[in-house]
Amino acid sequence: MSITTKPAWQRLITTLALAALYLICSVAEAQSTQASLRLKWLPQAQFAGFYVALAKGYYADEGIDLTINPGGPNILTENLVASGSDTFGLSGGAESVFAARDRDLPVVAIGLGTQLTDFVFVAKQDGPIETLEDFVGHRVTTWFTGANYVLYAMLAEQGIDRETVNIQPQQVSVTPFVDGTVDVATATWYNELNTIRNRVGEENLRIFSPDDYGITFPRDALIVSERTLAERPELVEGFVRATLKGWKEAFSDHDAAVDTVMQWAPTLDRNHQLAMLSEMQRLMTAGPAEEFGLYWLDRETLEQEHDLLRRYDVIGSDVDLDIAFDSRILEAIDKDERMP
Amino acid sequence: MKPRLATLAHGATTRLGLTVLGLALVWQASTALLGVPASYLPGLDAIFSMMHRHPAPFIAGFIRTASEMLIGLAAGTLVGLINGVLLHRHQLLRQLLLPLFIVSQTIPVIAFGALVVMWFGNSLLSKAVIAFYLTFFTITVNTLAGLRSVDPAQIRLLRSFGASDHQLLWRLQLPSALPDIFIALKLAVALSLSGAVVGEWFGDTTGLGVLLLQSMYNEDMVTLWATILLVALLGSLSFAAVALMERVMLFWQPRA
Repeated sequence: MSITTKPAWQRLITTLALAALYLICSVAEAQSTQASLRLKWLPQAQFAGFYVALAKGYYADEGIDLTINPGGPNILTENLVASGSDTFGLSGGAESVFAARDRDLPVVAIGLGTQLTDFVFVAKQDGPIETLEDFVGHRVTTWFTGANYVLYAMLAEQGIDRETVNIQPQQVSVTPFVDGTVDVATATWYNELNTIRNRVGEENLRIFSPDDYGITFPRDALIVSERTLAERPELVEGFVRATLKGWKEAFSDHDAAVDTVMQWAPTLDRNHQLAMLSEMQRLMTAGPAEEFGLYWLDRETLEQEHDLLRRYDVIGSDVDLDIAFDSRILEAIDKDERMP
Repeated sequence: MKPRLATLAHGATTRLGLTVLGLALVWQASTALLGVPASYLPGLDAIFSMMHRHPAPFIAGFIRTASEMLIGLAAGTLVGLINGVLLHRHQLLRQLLLPLFIVSQTIPVIAFGALVVMWFGNSLLSKAVIAFYLTFFTITVNTLAGLRSVDPAQIRLLRSFGASDHQLLWRLQLPSALPDIFIALKLAVALSLSGAVVGEWFGDTTGLGVLLLQSMYNEDMVTLWATILLVALLGSLSFAAVALMERVMLFWQPRA
């Protein structure tokens, strides 16, 4: 018995040894990257500028061998940038930069992607919600990752006690809103709202945009660690310059930009991605960007957001805006290159 | 021996094939006849046409996830076997390490995953590490249990013939522990697959887990179901491979 089993055992051991060898080899090859960018989500047109800049060789022109690492539901971009795992990051928004600084993470925002709040609260035309006051007593879902504070502030500005509104965390799907089990849902202009428009129809929707209520949360913050910014400013400048160029190229040719993105994620819905890019262009070129260019850090907006986050105790202490949001890199780049 | 094994496998495969075909027919017929909306459950025709139109991400994803899973499973099995033998031999080691292994398994993989990305980056390796993390414990515990269940009379007999520790291990203890080890391997197949899929949720561009995540958040039910079917296929193939290996290596065992 023991003799006949031996060859089979040896085969198993050989296989396992080979697998172990492969494991060791893949450790050795994982170190050739010069710089990396950690996105906040998987490849989609929301990040077209980066993918276009990479495909067109704009980063290479700046001497940067860039790797774009996608994000995911459990990825904290700020931590990865602070720890040095990634050189650059596309963080949730100004609010995540405030929160990171509040936790003493040494990350700095060098630009803000969308100049306006990138999400809205949406209700149905034939539903019970006509004004913000009608939120009272109805079911509202939102993301408890920052959007909830925008909602609280909007309600507070209108003198509405948020305890009277049934606010629930929003899950992945917009189906509960489409089916009518939720009266108000939160939707980004570039993603969920497009899905909802397709399923319910634009004319059947009522949109409550935070910006219309004087609350602006700029989002998609470009972040870097304090150390990288201090020690390799030329790398950061080159990265931002190439990124700006990538976005301008993407804005000038939506079709080609979506093609580039879809090379990374071929199963995406092309029309949805085209709509996403259009919305991104609108949000990124609005407001202060019209005057100062893409990724501009608008001081007044940031001060307002800071005060709002302090008021709701999202951040425990004052954050120094000059350290958390550094516009020196943008200012070092010619205005022509920044203008959309 | 051989023809019997072949007919047995043949009969089982035919039955399995018919069951799968039957389920597929029920699926397709019910979605088509009852007019189930695609956002609820898409028909199989839509799912296969999606895979046919964009085969590249599905093939690449399948290969990628399979590699992550197999590397993790192989490493987990190897480490688990070594652990089992060492812990069996050294009581002190068992008292020191086993509680630590148990603690390691109480950490939810989601918490662990964020660390893995920080330590191992976005490589294939980081997913294999998660698959490994989920598998080595099962193999360790079952190897240990298998080694401990060896009949002491048989050990005494081999000892009386002057067998060394090494001979005892390879000729009696490990072969006797094989049934337990194979039970662990079958569990580990499922665990390593879910480890690889979840590992891909920590930022990647290729893999079945990536497709799953992307389609989930885009409410793209067709891609979601296509990916679910491929994950199921990968799991079944791996399970079948382990079962086949078990048949070949444990030919002396009575089969249920």
